[in-house]
Amino acid sequence: MNIENLTQLTQFLVDDRAHIIVNQEICKTCDSRACVKMCLANCYTFNEETRLLSVVYETCLECGTCYVMCDKGAIDWNYPRGGFGVNYRLT
Amino acid sequence: MAKSFDVVIVGAGPAGSIAALKLARAGRSVVMVERGKSPGAKNMFGGLLHNTQVLNELIPDFHERAPLERHVYKKSLAFLTAESAVSLTFENENFDKPPHNGHTVFRPAFDNWLANEAVKSGALLLCECTAEDVIKEDGRIGGVTVKSREGEVRGKIVIAADGILSFIAEKAGLRQDFKTGNMGLGIKLLLGLPEATINERFGLVRDQAADVSFLGATGAMRGGGFLYTQRETVAIGLVVHLDSLKESGRTPYDTLNAFLEHPSLKRLIKGGTPLEYSAHLVPEGGYKAMPRLYTDGLMLAGDAAGLCYTNGINLEGINLAMTSGALAADTAIEALDANDFSARRLARYKKRLDRSFVIKDMKTFRNAAGMMSTDRLYTTYPRIFSAIMEKMGRTGGAPRSKLLRLIRKEAMKEAGLKNLIADGYKIGRALL
Repeated sequence: MNIENLTQLTQFLVDDRAHIIVNQEICKTCDSRACVKMCLANCYTFNEETRLLSVVYETCLECGTCYVMCDKGAIDWNYPRGGFGVNYRLT
Repeated sequence: MAKSFDVVIVGAGPAGSIAALKLARAGRSVVMVERGKSPGAKNMFGGLLHNTQVLNELIPDFHERAPLERHVYKKSLAFLTAESAVSLTFENENFDKPPHNGHTVFRPAFDNWLANEAVKSGALLLCECTAEDVIKEDGRIGGVTVKSREGEVRGKIVIAADGILSFIAEKAGLRQDFKTGNMGLGIKLLLGLPEATINERFGLVRDQAADVSFLGATGAMRGGGFLYTQRETVAIGLVVHLDSLKESGRTPYDTLNAFLEHPSLKRLIKGGTPLEYSAHLVPEGGYKAMPRLYTDGLMLAGDAAGLCYTNGINLEGINLAMTSGALAADTAIEALDANDFSARRLARYKKRLDRSFVIKDMKTFRNAAGMMSTDRLYTTYPRIFSAIMEKMGRTGGAPRSKLLRLIRKEAMKEAGLKNLIADGYKIGRALL
């Protein structure tokens, strides 16, 4: 089982507005990158070459782990606008 | 949208909907502001709706009408090592008779049903509305702002039942920053299996459900595993302590995959069709981590109030949430009668909670959170139990020792006297 399959099981109503915004300046200097490891939906990827952190908010499960975990305060995390985001059917 | 109500409830989960139901029945104008497409669309839990007095009282025939899956019949606690499992199972014919001790449910179905019970009684439900901030006027909270359908919803009283990451509580100044030490992360996978297969594998008949907790399921990480059976699905997952997850450097889904691969689990879920993957944070800090519960014009209920605890045996939240919703509603009705929405008046909510089982239980197990942060509970002790069981059972010519000697030897070897005493003290303080 791998993560791609796992998030594909879940339904998302994708907003065109991101509900997670990271502060690239802070993320460039971060060495722990807890968000990359801890995100259950693999939303965060760090590109070693460009030193940029990319966020795929579209498959975010809205658990808030990254937000609580980031001790640099680099993640501006909100709930998506009403009606958008994860849409559980059977949990 | 600029309307004014007696009470604005943020979140149509179990706490919010019970509060709305009570208020609507008392003839108050009440609105639920829900960010999901429908109630429950954002909600996730392990799987068990506990037997809850306020639900039984408010909707006595809910057993017949609510979308329930199965009632809990078998409760097991299993200690896992990489290759073994020691488990204790309790089953009781009394669990087969109403009032049942709990039912497995799907939150998108159950929460939606409960919110609509409130609607039937006259509450208004606004879905697809994310409450963003509190409106302060005359020194008190007088409503919330909403994003998506931009606007405001005003009320004499606000009940924030907006879940563990309650931004409303934070913006109202009732809580400090969210801390990793007070939170668990729940991850769950739902697997589809034929009803007959579930009954056969778990030894169940009719509507009986199995509820299994696992210790030692998370490698070196502090946390536990859970398994619940629904009619044609098995919910399986983990709750790991956030701080421990961070220290471990492991990814949550690797840990989940390793758990699913455990020999004793593998055969239980073999052939299951993955149906849904979900995650949610869980308040695990217990009584000591609770925020302030009220301020002028605002009360917190459910997860937003940190009402959840685990002591290794019980894992309760939804029942505390519904009870807190009911007590917040009682307090709101009284405050509306008195036309007084001050913190002093709403302090009665805290008093009501203190007198109920909610705070009594949270206080009784106030040291459980400390106990649960003992690393050895998740690695060393399952190993000790496994080694004892193996030595007790294995034949082959090696001379046996009496039980106490065997237990002492294994415990001393794995943990050492100093740790045994320290852990014994912690466990004793938390549970005994």
